[in-house]
Amino acid sequence: MSLKLDYVLRETASNFRRNITLTLATVITVTISLTLLGAALLFGDAVDNATVRWKDGVEFIVFMDPEISPELEEDIRRQLEDAPEVSGFTYIDKDEAFAEVQDLLGDSPELVEVITPERLPASFRVKPTDTLPERVDELAAAFRTQPGVARVVTASETIRAIEDLSSGLRQRVIIIAIVLLVAAAVLILNTIRMALFSRRRDIEVMKLVGATNWFIRVPFMFEGLIQGLVGGVIAIPLIWLTNNFFSVINDDVSLELLRGFTVDPSRVWALGFQMVGLGAIVGTVGSGIAVSRFLDT
Amino acid sequence: MIRMENVTKVYKGEVLALQNASCEVQRGEFVFLVGPSGSGKSTFMRLLNKEEKPDRGRIYVAGKDIGALPSWKVPFLRRNIGCVFQDFKLLPNKTVVQNVAFALEVIGRPRSVIKEKVPAILELVGLSKKMHNYPDELSGGEQQRVSIARAFVNRPLILLADEPTGNLDPNTSLGIMTLLDRINRTGTTVVMATHDRSIVDKMRRRVVELDRGQIVRDQSRGVYE
Repeated sequence: MSLKLDYVLRETASNFRRNITLTLATVITVTISLTLLGAALLFGDAVDNATVRWKDGVEFIVFMDPEISPELEEDIRRQLEDAPEVSGFTYIDKDEAFAEVQDLLGDSPELVEVITPERLPASFRVKPTDTLPERVDELAAAFRTQPGVARVVTASETIRAIEDLSSGLRQRVIIIAIVLLVAAAVLILNTIRMALFSRRRDIEVMKLVGATNWFIRVPFMFEGLIQGLVGGVIAIPLIWLTNNFFSVINDDVSLELLRGFTVDPSRVWALGFQMVGLGAIVGTVGSGIAVSRFLDT
Repeated sequence: MIRMENVTKVYKGEVLALQNASCEVQRGEFVFLVGPSGSGKSTFMRLLNKEEKPDRGRIYVAGKDIGALPSWKVPFLRRNIGCVFQDFKLLPNKTVVQNVAFALEVIGRPRSVIKEKVPAILELVGLSKKMHNYPDELSGGEQQRVSIARAFVNRPLILLADEPTGNLDPNTSLGIMTLLDRINRTGTTVVMATHDRSIVDKMRRRVVELDRGQIVRDQSRGVYE
């Protein structure tokens, strides 16, 4: 049996015209759900990238008591030099710390005025040889109890906080996206059912004269496929917009913590095409279910 | 061409439509199915193209047990059986020529075949001049001719007509019967369910009478009663 392409296209086009509002609603739902899913996955990738960069240069910072005596400070420096676990460290004195704060708060001079170099702690930024988070923690703990040390901040704590936040966020967005995707499938199913209903006389005649079920089915499944594909294609630029938002975060100097919060363009494209594929699958499956139910009765 | 062996059909477990009916129709025969409403005439027809399945008994069409036919082959059975109804079942948004072409198009016939066959069949049923009219621009008799053209364009072995003259006046009905007779003469087996006494009496063909699901009479060259 030959299924002619022009027949399928003609039938699909006329169905679209008949159900234009429902088709639009379906396409929009597909787009939104695929965009959310794509954005959630992209966000995950960005977090991975950002934390990978942190892991490479894992360091912890030993903040000294602002009123520390030079002897105690010298003592800590010697310990850092002697410790085999430390590959290197930099000393940030009060003036340097003040310069950083000025950079960070450059937009609010009234805040900078309140802060004086004397109030800021000097600090050691430490690069351990072993960057395993547990080792870093151990090492950092050893310094935490030293006299003259105000506090020790490990980068891994920050990373874990980001990871926790992102995985929670990602899970939620993915759940929402899946719910929306199911809604999109149901909408597609409903659109196709409407199309089938409006053409029930044609289908009755088709069955009567011996058209095969596949012949009847294909134009409707094609319609679902197109809805899924169009929804997916519209999602691509929206996913790109999400990616642009990431680079805005990344370029913002005040959010230094999130340096590396970016995704490779080829990955964004790949994700976009995956979303188009997913849309196509959802569309075909949804319409297939609708047609099968209709033809079996 | 058609053989029914002890066929019983019960709807929803209680409405007895056919009861132990056996009947054989030879190739090229013309058979009237008569009987009051609800006697099982339509069920008889619907069983033949497998729109319904019998609860008991076997049905053979063109030598094949259609009960053993897998569902994906049913469309191919139906390509051998043309159907005509009281209410024509034409598609209102298609012209005469499109309605007939549709029947060939959806079974995947090439366009060249459609271009050749459709005008020829419309010539046969006498509607060449109204090819591009829509069904609602035609009289009842003309609409039934279109539906006969659609049923016959694929040259089926069997033509099933369920009260084809039920909505038509006597004169128009006669025209339809002439057409069905002509189709029968090409070798097509015709089974026609009807209430139309004058037509049955005039044609003098085989008559199978049903009453409450049972075949109560089978008479060659019979009359309505």
